[in-house]
Amino acid sequence: MVKSGSYGLRALVAGVLITISQPLLYLIIRAGEKPAGDILALLTRSKTVEVLGATVLLLSAVVAINVLLGTALAAGLHYIEIPYPRILLVMTVLPLAIPSYVFTYTWKALVPSLDGIWAATFILVLTTMPYMILAVTISFQRIDSGLIEVSRSLGLTKPAVFFRVILPQVRRSISAGALLSGLYVLSDFGAVSLLNVETLTVSIQNLYKSSYDRSAASVIGLLLFLAAAIFVSMESFLKGREFESRGAEGFQQQIRRVKNLPLSVATTFMLATYAFLAVVIPFYVLISRFLQNPAAVAISDLTTAAISTITVAAMGAAIAFLLSLPLAFLMTQGASTFGSISEKIILMAHALPGVVVGLALVSFGSRLGVLYQSIFLLAFAYAVLFLAKSVASTSSALSLVSPQLKEVAATLGKSKSRVTMEVVFPIALPNLALGVLLVFLTAMKELPATLMLRPTGMDTLATEVWSFAAISRFNEAAPYALLLVLLAAIPTFILTIPRSAKNEASVKAKVN
Amino acid sequence: MGALVIGGVSWIGFGRDTSSDKVEELTIYSGRSEEFIAPFFARWEKESGIKLNIRYGDSAELAAQILEEGENSPADLFLSQDAGALGALSVAGLLSKLPDSAGDQIQSQYIGDNRTWVGVTGRARVFAYRPGAVAKLPTSVAELTSAQFKGRFGIAPSNSSFQAFVTALINEKGEKFAEKWLAGMKANDAKIYLKNSEIVEAIDKGEIDLGLVNHYYVWEVSEALGREINAEISFFSPGDIGNLINVSGVGILGSSKKESAAIELINFLTAKPSQIAFVEDTHEYSLLSGVKAPEGLPKLEDIGAPEVDLGDLEKVQRTQDLLTKVGLL
Repeated sequence: MVKSGSYGLRALVAGVLITISQPLLYLIIRAGEKPAGDILALLTRSKTVEVLGATVLLLSAVVAINVLLGTALAAGLHYIEIPYPRILLVMTVLPLAIPSYVFTYTWKALVPSLDGIWAATFILVLTTMPYMILAVTISFQRIDSGLIEVSRSLGLTKPAVFFRVILPQVRRSISAGALLSGLYVLSDFGAVSLLNVETLTVSIQNLYKSSYDRSAASVIGLLLFLAAAIFVSMESFLKGREFESRGAEGFQQQIRRVKNLPLSVATTFMLATYAFLAVVIPFYVLISRFLQNPAAVAISDLTTAAISTITVAAMGAAIAFLLSLPLAFLMTQGASTFGSISEKIILMAHALPGVVVGLALVSFGSRLGVLYQSIFLLAFAYAVLFLAKSVASTSSALSLVSPQLKEVAATLGKSKSRVTMEVVFPIALPNLALGVLLVFLTAMKELPATLMLRPTGMDTLATEVWSFAAISRFNEAAPYALLLVLLAAIPTFILTIPRSAKNEASVKAKVN
Repeated sequence: MGALVIGGVSWIGFGRDTSSDKVEELTIYSGRSEEFIAPFFARWEKESGIKLNIRYGDSAELAAQILEEGENSPADLFLSQDAGALGALSVAGLLSKLPDSAGDQIQSQYIGDNRTWVGVTGRARVFAYRPGAVAKLPTSVAELTSAQFKGRFGIAPSNSSFQAFVTALINEKGEKFAEKWLAGMKANDAKIYLKNSEIVEAIDKGEIDLGLVNHYYVWEVSEALGREINAEISFFSPGDIGNLINVSGVGILGSSKKESAAIELINFLTAKPSQIAFVEDTHEYSLLSGVKAPEGLPKLEDIGAPEVDLGDLEKVQRTQDLLTKVGLL
């Protein structure tokens, strides 16, 4: 029944894949300009091996810490009695809005000796922890609370419920969080370059900038893509079988938080420490830098930059959302090899750094006449860069809708499109919004592709921060960085609004 | 004035040759910071009546972007922080040969091979130090590997200005010599910073006593912090490679159809009024003979800069490999 439209959908998905494969295509073309012998020599030289080693080490360290700490923090936020849980949640998600270069600048201002791979691990954990916390928290919210009640009544202790009933169900979200934070590490340039860690992404940038050797840079770019491919396949291994009860079917209610003083104190302490390191410290440094030598803030420049930032980031999020729809729909029609391969390709492409996507679109885009260096091409670049975030949320949003519900609706004589509009969308809406907001947030702080593709003369908040920081005017960069974080705090706040089963219940009522 | 001339030509020419149509806009990719260069551009816009579309970025990244754009580049001019990025575009054949009339007063050693670019301002490598902290100032950059400076000085090996200097060192004295010196710096416990400005700040704070920087950073940091700082600069003995003079410079893209207007802009930047303004406003050296040096500094010709071909500074891969090999990167 659901198969009928899938050829069209597959064609659409293929179209999306081709569209976002531009950077990959670019890398292949450029790398191909080098003789095979040179490519081999480049790949096997000891420097490349060292860089690859550093990349893998950094990736593993950040992901391992995120998985352990992030899951613990999310569990604490959701299941333990803590003061002001909502504020603590916002504080732990807010770092999403802070670019890794701002983290690094501010931390280095406090601790000048910060340097090397462990420092980079520290900064990148601060930067990427929210991906983990968000993914896991949202999935905790979806767990059928009835199941927990039943387990408790069968005599399982609270810790046993957590480890044996709850954790296995959020495994998929943990691995999704691990994936997003790992891909972030692979594509990060800001933190690692400032901390003198040469990862593959730093190598790519160095090759472009130091010898203008685009072919060599592209060879390393392909190596990065390969590393991402391996990482993404490992993730699906870790994710294991589908084993997630669908909250949609179950009985959901406000869960009762565990009241246990030592546990509450420990949880609060951990959450507050993270918020302190990842929010308070950067804010404190930015504000104190500004106060040291307060510069006249040009309100009009600030406003213009803010409006440009919001406009282009919103356009990028909208395009990413549209591009993610065909695949998401395809995936609601049941597991297919085509679907899961498509999803993996999109995820792998997410590891490519801004400079690669930027230059690829410069290469293709400069032939497009007026479209080149227009906000449309920049928004498109954001969509290409961050599509994975949208795809992940969109597909999990649509997977929330149970097939039975759709079938019930269909047997009641509703057409497929009406089922989609009246049943699927309302239920999926909160998670769809999550995807759009994630892209929006990340696009707001994007720098390398923005510098290359923005319309000449247009400034975003991120480019303004960069341009003042480049001449050490941290006092003048501070207002732009602060505004960037504050503006991003708004969607972050919306992101953390607890998703209730309310709209779902109303949909069910309608169907029945 | 320039606009009048160009406008006049278009009336006489009638033709479809776009270079003689009245130019209303020029697009320039600027590797120089907006903060320092924007006032110059604004002055030229006013004088010429031509609007400038200015794209700010990092010099090397803008050069990489122009390499990708190739013939389709919207840019008419490229203004770079250093000679290296201009050299890369010149080697790729993307810069057009300038007529002798463009930047004709700039001293010839600051003009690129084949006249594909001209220097705009001079930036001298110096050492910065905290007054009173160093009993005997070094006379050569080679002395920094001696015991008396152990652990007391800073360098910025990942910074392009330091890498340009090392490239010149390799070109001048050979790779062996450069490697030995770099390894000596490492062994002498050189403190590593990301940027020239951080070195100057570290001197001011007393973390280190001296460091290798470009000459204008003491002024720039003092401006950024809004106060006097505890650092001064000095040159090595005349002829020492440590006194390298690099330039910011400008070239016209081969794909530009507005060459004559672009030449007018180059001539504006290299004419005496702008050159004096650079000295006063950004504390850089003028490349014209007869313009005074930045306040408190010797004249350009009295520095005793080594004779170096600036066009050869574009390939820094070998330099980076060497820095990596000795463990400074």
